[in-house]
Amino acid sequence: MSDKSVVIVGAGHAGVQAAGRLRELGWHGGVIIIDQESHAPYERPPLSKDLLKPDAQDDSALLRKASYFQDKDITLKPATSVLQIDRQKRMVALSDGSGLPYHRLVLATGSSARKLTIPGSELAGVQVLKTKTDALTLKSGLIAGSKVVILGAGYIGLEVAAAAAARGCNVTVLEFQDRVMNRVTSSVVSHYFQKLHESHGIRFAFGSAASHIEGDGRAERVFTTDGAMFEADVVLVGIGVVPHQGLAENAGLECNDGILVDENGLTSDPYVYAAGDVTRSICPFEGTSRRLECIQNALSQADQVASHILGLEPKKPEVPWFWTIQHGLRLQTAGIQQPEDEVLLRGNPADGRFSVLYLRSGRLAAIDTVGGLADFLPGKKLIAAGVELDRTLAADPGAGLAQSARPVAA
Amino acid sequence: MNNVINVIDREGEKHILEWEPDQSLMESLRDNDLPVMASCGGTASCATCHIFLDRDVVVSLGERSEDELELLVETECYDESSSRLSCQVRHDPSLNGLNVVLAPEE
Repeated sequence: MSDKSVVIVGAGHAGVQAAGRLRELGWHGGVIIIDQESHAPYERPPLSKDLLKPDAQDDSALLRKASYFQDKDITLKPATSVLQIDRQKRMVALSDGSGLPYHRLVLATGSSARKLTIPGSELAGVQVLKTKTDALTLKSGLIAGSKVVILGAGYIGLEVAAAAAARGCNVTVLEFQDRVMNRVTSSVVSHYFQKLHESHGIRFAFGSAASHIEGDGRAERVFTTDGAMFEADVVLVGIGVVPHQGLAENAGLECNDGILVDENGLTSDPYVYAAGDVTRSICPFEGTSRRLECIQNALSQADQVASHILGLEPKKPEVPWFWTIQHGLRLQTAGIQQPEDEVLLRGNPADGRFSVLYLRSGRLAAIDTVGGLADFLPGKKLIAAGVELDRTLAADPGAGLAQSARPVAA
Repeated sequence: MNNVINVIDREGEKHILEWEPDQSLMESLRDNDLPVMASCGGTASCATCHIFLDRDVVVSLGERSEDELELLVETECYDESSSRLSCQVRHDPSLNGLNVVLAPEE
C-alpha cells in the first residue's frame, strides 16, 4: 500500500460509498474508514421501517457484505473516534491515542438527532432513533399495550408510529405544527397520511409542544405547553437532526449549520472533503444553499469526492429524492417543494394512489407520489430538465406524465 | 454454493463474478465494483440497478412486484421480456451461469 491514504471519518452511506468508489475508480493508496460505531456499516432506512416490524430479525441489511472491506483493501476502524484534525500536519488524532496522517481527509460524520432539552428529557424511556443501537432499544420497548408518545410528526416519528401501532402499542403523536410532515410536503398529502394513521388507531395532538416529562426514574407522563398530559412508557423524540460538524468547526473549517462544501465536496481546506448529511452546499436545482438529509445526496456527494480526489470528471448531479413507507403505503418525493409552489393534483386520493406536482414559474420543481411509482422517474426527469408543464395534461393521470412537458420555446 | 455470473457492463466489457447465497443480485454487482448506484439500498424505489436477463430466466423468476414494474416501465430502455431490478432478484442455485447486462443509466 502506498503511504498516500484517504482517511474517511464515518461509516454511514456517504463514508462507505466514498471508500468503495475510490477503489472502483482506481485509487491505489490507502483507504481508511474511522467509525465511532461498533456495528459493521449498515443501511439506515430499515432502522425505522423493516427492523421495527413485529416479525423482524435484529439484523438490518449491511451496506456491503462482511468481507467487502478486506477484499477491497479498505481498512475499517470501528469503535474509534477522531478527536482532532491537525490541518498543518495533515494528521488526525484518534481516540485510541494514535495519530493518522492523511493525503486527503473526507468528513462523512452525518448528523445527530436533535436532542430534547425540556425537564425530564434525561429519563429512561426517552430516546431518539438514529443508530442501530437506538433502533434495537426502541424495538424492545414496543410491546403490545404499551403507551408510546412520539414527539414530532416527521418521517421518523410517523414511521415509528406505524411500526408501534402494528405491534399493538397505544400511540400518540405530538406535533407543534398543524399537520404531519409539514416541512416536506403539501397539506393534501399531510391530510391523507394523517387519516391513514388515524385509521390504524394513532392519535394526534397538533399545535402541541412538550413542556416537561415526569416519572420515577423512567418516563411516565409527558406534559404539553397547553396543559395536556399524556401517559407514556416510551417517548420517541423525532424533532429533526443537526449536522455533526464539531470536528470540522474545531479545525477551523467553514461551517454554517453544516460543513460548507463546493460542487466537488471540497471544504474550505483543499485537502479536506465532506459528504452527506453533515454538509451544506448550493443545490444545483434550486440555486440556494441547503443541507440535504437523504441517501441520494450522501451517495452522490461521495461519488463527487472520490472523482475529484482522482482528478476525474464528476457525474451530473441527480435530483434529490426521498421516500417513506407508513402502514405499507409509500410516499416518494423527487425535488424539494416550497410552501409558495403551485400545487397540482394528479389522480384521485380516494383511489389510494395519486401524485402531487409542485410547480414554480410553471416548471416542475418537485413531485410526491403516493401509493404508486409510475410518475416517479418521469417526474424526476422533468425536474432535472427544468421544463414547463401543460397543466391540463399534467393533471390527467390517463396520460403519461412525460407527455405533459411543453415544448421549449425557441 | 456461490453462483458464477457473467456481467456485461455499460461499456460492453465482460466480468465474471461470484454471487453469494445471502446476497441479492444487486448486492453482488455492487460489492464487485460494478457501477450500480442502488441508492435505495434494495427496496425497489429507484431503478438504478436496472439490468437485462435472458427471456427464459425472467419467465422462470415469476411476477415482478407492482413497485418494480411501475419503475421499470418508465425507464428509457425498458424491455418487457428482459428488464428486472437486480435488487429484487434473490440468489438461487438454478441461476448459476446467469448472464446479466447492465441497463444504461437513467
